[in-house]
Amino acid sequence: MLRSLARRAAISSSSSHILGPYQVFDRNAKRIQKDRAALRESSRTVDYVRDEVADRMMERFMDIKREFNTILDLGSGAGHFSKLLELEKAKKSVMVDSSKHSLFRDPSSEFEVEVERIHGDEEKLLEIVEPNTQEAIVSCLSLHWVNDLPGTLVQIREALRPDGLFLGAMFGGDTLFELRTSLQLAEQEREGGIAPHVSPMTETRDISNLMGRAGFSLLTVDVDEVKVAYPSMWDLMDDLGAMGEGNAIFGPRRPLRRDTLAAASAIYSSLHGLGDGSVPATFQIIYMIGWKPAPSQPQPLQRGAGKVPLGDVL
Amino acid sequence: MSPAATQSKAVSPLRRFAAHTTTTCATQASAYGQCMLASYQDVRKDMCKAEFDLFAQCLRQAMARK
Repeated sequence: MLRSLARRAAISSSSSHILGPYQVFDRNAKRIQKDRAALRESSRTVDYVRDEVADRMMERFMDIKREFNTILDLGSGAGHFSKLLELEKAKKSVMVDSSKHSLFRDPSSEFEVEVERIHGDEEKLLEIVEPNTQEAIVSCLSLHWVNDLPGTLVQIREALRPDGLFLGAMFGGDTLFELRTSLQLAEQEREGGIAPHVSPMTETRDISNLMGRAGFSLLTVDVDEVKVAYPSMWDLMDDLGAMGEGNAIFGPRRPLRRDTLAAASAIYSSLHGLGDGSVPATFQIIYMIGWKPAPSQPQPLQRGAGKVPLGDVL
Repeated sequence: MSPAATQSKAVSPLRRFAAHTTTTCATQASAYGQCMLASYQDVRKDMCKAEFDLFAQCLRQAMARK
């Protein structure tokens, strides 16, 4: 989040970008962040959030009474979800990620199922796979860096076979609200203005709408939280950096001053501190399940098709 | 310190600075935090300047001491 801001700015501006309507995140900078993070020793020690969410996602996956030959793990990272797959449920996982070093971080021996790794852009799924070919697509904590979320969901639906499954988990709007508010308060009080340092994130209610709009049927959306206690704001920021989850918002980036960070750290402890000296960080996770429509799925009957008056049944 | 933070061998100035905000200068940090907490819904620039100056002064002294 703080390190090598100038260097990163230089890298991201050297490649040409055309700003579309949905350009919120600098995906090139993000890819570089993730690659660097995956190469560092600390990368495995900060897997705790992704592993926990992958585990909770697996519970939902196991509730689906179907076996799959191949599933596509979109934005897989090091394969946190695919590692949990069991042979009874799926035979093979195809992992797709834009960060090559994250993708190849862990050896295939750590997976129970066969894995194939494709280095490719999550936003351009249909350039990687053909439409109507996938049995199931899963995505564990990657869609929050996608610029064009509606478009990506449409591509996922397109890539699925009829009656194919999409299961996703992404960070929701309350994620890191403690850090966001502390930085905003500190910047406002110290410097008299604020700049974005924590990503804007999708609200839960928007996800159902987006899934519906992308043409998924039989939607299930639910929310849950992972709360982690850190010794201080600095440790949280270190770990976020080590996860490759540092700031990657597009636009002129104003680095935080050291004094402002000190102020934010003090505010974080006073406003949100847990009393024992540690500070909490909230990760809000939105889980979504959707199916590509197919004639075999249960359909609502025609209006007036009922033969038995409801009053007789109740 | 988290595992990730303790693994780096050389302690950078920012890490030393970070450590001082929560240890050496914890009292001043808390005074500033309490001031912000009192009126965080209506934050104006330099609202808690007096408290922050004490905090910053403590940090500068701590950093100079080595």
